[in-house]
Amino acid sequence: MAPPTTFRTFRAGWSRVPLIGWLFGALLAVTLERLVGGPLAAAVGLPKIPALFGLDIMLKKPLLIPNAFLYVLLVYGLPMGFATRASIAPANRLAAGLLRLPITVTTFVYIVFLYVIFHVWAEVNDYRALVLKLTLIAIMFTLSLNVINGYMGEFSCSHPGFMALGAYCASVFSLGLFVDTRFFGTALLPPALGPFVFPVALLLGGLLAAAGALIVAVPSFRTRGDYLAIISLAFLFIVKSLIENLEYVRGPRGLSGQPDWANLPTVFLWTVACIWSINNFVTSTIGKALNAVRDNEMAANAMTVDTRRTKMVAFLFAAFWAGIAGGLFAHVLRYVNPGTFGIQSLAEVLAMVYFGGLNSVYGSIVGAVSISLLGEALRPLEIFKWIIIPLLLILVMIYRPTGLIAFKDVDVTALFRPRTGPDEEV
Amino acid sequence: MRKGLLPGIFVLAVVMSFAPSGPLQAAQTIKIGINAPLTGDIPKVGEGTKFAAQMWLEDVKKAGGITVGKRKIPVELVLEDNESKAESAVKVATKMITEDDVLVMIGPQASKQAVPAGGIANNYKTPMISPWSTNPDTTKDRPYVFRACFLDPFQGPVLANFITSEFKFTKAAVLYDVASDYPKGLAEFFKQAWEKLHGKGSVVAYESFTTKDTDFSSQLTKIINSGAQVLFTPQYYNEVALIVQQAHQLGWKKPIVGSDSWGSAELVNLCGKDCYGDFFSTHYAAAGAKGATKAFIDRYKAKYGYVPDDVAALTWDSMNLAQTAIRNTGGLTGDLKKDRENVRNALARIKKFKGITGEMTFSGTGDPSKCAVIVKISDKGEFTFFKSVCP
Amino acid sequence: MVIFLQNLVNALQWGSFYALIALGYSMVYSILMLFNFAHGDIFMVGAYIGFGVSVGLIGLAHSGLLPMPHWLILVLTILVSMFLTSFVGMIVERVGYRPLRNAPRASAAITGLMIGIILETGNLILLGARRVSFPSLIETATYDVGGVILTNKKIMIVGVSLLLSLALHQFVRRTKWGMAMRAMAFDSVVVPLMGVPLNTMAALTFAIGSALAAAAGILFGVAYPVLDPYMGIVFGWKAFVAAILGGRGSILGATLAGFLLGFTEIFVAMVFPSTLRDLIAYSIILLILTFRPHGFFGEPYSARLRL
Repeated sequence: MAPPTTFRTFRAGWSRVPLIGWLFGALLAVTLERLVGGPLAAAVGLPKIPALFGLDIMLKKPLLIPNAFLYVLLVYGLPMGFATRASIAPANRLAAGLLRLPITVTTFVYIVFLYVIFHVWAEVNDYRALVLKLTLIAIMFTLSLNVINGYMGEFSCSHPGFMALGAYCASVFSLGLFVDTRFFGTALLPPALGPFVFPVALLLGGLLAAAGALIVAVPSFRTRGDYLAIISLAFLFIVKSLIENLEYVRGPRGLSGQPDWANLPTVFLWTVACIWSINNFVTSTIGKALNAVRDNEMAANAMTVDTRRTKMVAFLFAAFWAGIAGGLFAHVLRYVNPGTFGIQSLAEVLAMVYFGGLNSVYGSIVGAVSISLLGEALRPLEIFKWIIIPLLLILVMIYRPTGLIAFKDVDVTALFRPRTGPDEEV
Repeated sequence: MRKGLLPGIFVLAVVMSFAPSGPLQAAQTIKIGINAPLTGDIPKVGEGTKFAAQMWLEDVKKAGGITVGKRKIPVELVLEDNESKAESAVKVATKMITEDDVLVMIGPQASKQAVPAGGIANNYKTPMISPWSTNPDTTKDRPYVFRACFLDPFQGPVLANFITSEFKFTKAAVLYDVASDYPKGLAEFFKQAWEKLHGKGSVVAYESFTTKDTDFSSQLTKIINSGAQVLFTPQYYNEVALIVQQAHQLGWKKPIVGSDSWGSAELVNLCGKDCYGDFFSTHYAAAGAKGATKAFIDRYKAKYGYVPDDVAALTWDSMNLAQTAIRNTGGLTGDLKKDRENVRNALARIKKFKGITGEMTFSGTGDPSKCAVIVKISDKGEFTFFKSVCP
Repeated sequence: MVIFLQNLVNALQWGSFYALIALGYSMVYSILMLFNFAHGDIFMVGAYIGFGVSVGLIGLAHSGLLPMPHWLILVLTILVSMFLTSFVGMIVERVGYRPLRNAPRASAAITGLMIGIILETGNLILLGARRVSFPSLIETATYDVGGVILTNKKIMIVGVSLLLSLALHQFVRRTKWGMAMRAMAFDSVVVPLMGVPLNTMAALTFAIGSALAAAAGILFGVAYPVLDPYMGIVFGWKAFVAAILGGRGSILGATLAGFLLGFTEIFVAMVFPSTLRDLIAYSIILLILTFRPHGFFGEPYSARLRL
């Protein structure tokens, strides 16, 4: 279905804006908000700067919807619209220039740019920062599940279990070494060293999760589909029950007081690393082998794909990143308990994966971001939220059974290239 | 044209940044956050919280606001749903404190949300009162976090002593939910206290199950065959109904004792005659209540159609604790940071607060010292006062 | 020995529920090759419908309009609720599964999950946060058989669930519709071409599965008379485990595996500290599946699976 012509011509004006142009526009918008957001919000009749693009205000005070729209238009819409359009030529030149540099340098520049935007945006208030951090973690979690459920085509239910392993391992490490607690004794190392050792805690968490994944990966050699689904489900029950019974980590009471190391740059860096490595993973030969295993295991075997090795690597890799996400999660909340990693969390992450799109890095990002934002925005609806979100998902499943953006990996060069042609799709 | 736009926007931006800030400080209101589990595992708890808070708001509105110093300041409730999840409770707490500028936060109720949310409240130096969380961690080393209930380390020994002195029993069995922190904590404290009284091994059966289980036959069979004289089960009322009925069906005829989580009017509806004659410790006894407590119960019942749970009563007390503290500050400065600190200090100084769940005194920490009540379920299914135990 | 026998009785009752619910999973699976993740919540809806029907009938009986004994009320409740709940199942199939007939199987699993959430939330909105108490339709009578305590409810539950499984087995073996189902389970591509209507068969399977879930819901209400909107979640997932453990699409297998799961849970709690119940019970299941990856009655993995 083609959009109406007026809309299309309207959109065509921005079809030549390269990514860097959009980033410039976004930076301008967030800087503007940072500088004049408060007075501007007051001028359009809002009590405060709307935290999540006005989404949080709209349902709570429906009378303020026009004001919120006006604010979003003034702060984000207009500046971004004009700045991106006005800077098409220089931005394209810049994009072309950046592409001539080594790709790592280019990527680095873009990532720094993106981080600056996030940083300025999140600085306005701490609620934003928290939502942003949890959304980034959700992206990691969703993406790592997509490796198994999307790229490998299994229906794995064990992911919250991997996350729990990572969260607990990282928490025990950081609480045991750096914090005086009643259960782990006094701190062994000076807290100043903490932020530098934090990656070690996360890596250990990831490794423990990967080790746990062996329990699911080994049976996957001999069976798949539904049998694997319940093996992984049994694994989830086992992990939860195990943690509940471990007096060492205080059972159902959970661990609290993790040091405050998971700040925005840390979470952002890990998320970038996660997206980068998973994207590389799925576009590499092993990623193709995964797809081959999904589509037809016997044929893949005949074509000299080592299916066992492929499955094993995929499971360990996905579990590793789920573990890292868990470690970050525990340090963002600064509390972790086994109840968090149950069936409910499984339903949530499955929803994110399938809503966003199977077999797709973009899809996972879109899925995680939209479900997280939707969850925050619809909070004022209280219980009706849990009617609307499932309905939306059912509709997406009916009309796009593979999710919103399925089968799409990140191609860095295509993403960064200048847009010179008149009508190129992004 | 295009070249003119960009500078134009910047000029506009600069002009606006110097513009007067509009009608922002129109009227001062006191905002109180309610962090409640309206959806998720325990919607009933959220409902009680919400209803009690709304009743309180009605009263305050009728009075024209809270009298602070010489002014009457209107009150606004910021009610948010934490979905009964730790992660959501933290988000909600952060949002209330940094976005909605609440002066005091009431809730979360269950410890699994109150512990992490308490960390947030303490970081932002915002007073928080959890009406219902009995986990010691909630308030531990957190000067800004308070609670309105007694703690498990108090309740456990109270029950152990009560059973010993009342029935002269020496062998007890415990059945609890291993996946839920409240029953597990209380079961541990009870076991400790009991073994201190009767020696090691006097808890002859220490059985558990997992949240949402409905069949306890295996555990109860063990308990019945262990020779225990009394069964202690610190479970929520919906599980209590099942446990008590199944125990009787399997041939258990000895007393069953519970804790404050039994204290819901629904218990008798769900459990029926099976629960008659059993005892539990709680914050207040609904039947035979007097004065303010009775007034609260009657009003709640008239409005919402059922006798309030202990959660509702404790929320009501927490709201009034907050109100008292705000009043005791003697005046709000308008500077939120300073006001929050003042309210916190006022809260910590509250002595002999007459709540509907008993008298509360804060002495330095966030934990009140208050009495527990032992309640007997009468033959008419009413919760009748049996004994009061004070620390 | 007495303790063992007592637990055997307990396990029989507990396993009955798993068996009845697992049957519903298994039925749908054999025809459509997908799992109805809303099934646990259909069980919940069935229990609530049973609650409504029985309260209505008791009211009718007490008002003197239509005097009838309590056992008759129970029988009527079971029949009426099974009938009503089968429509819920058909609606779920129509809304959540039929549009996805050609989509990847996992997408249908997600719609199932989401329909489940809608059913739970809808119930919470309609009836409020209050838990309801299932009316006790028959007076509990306890019998002491050599130290083993039996109740009439236990006997009835086990009896009814065995009866229903047997009836389903006969239905599938003996009737024309049953034959069509078996044919569909054998090959879901060619059989529709031979004139067996796929959509009707799918609706029928959902209806039968849901009716069984409703029966399980009412029996559950009789045994554990506290209903809440979330009671189906854990039950549903565990019955899902049982259904697969039994082997795909096997009625006998699902029934046996349901009882087996009940036995495992109860006996693990008997032998080990009950704290470790889930841990050990599910480790056992994991081990079983590691060494018998296709359940008890399932055929070995073939290339038939889509996605």
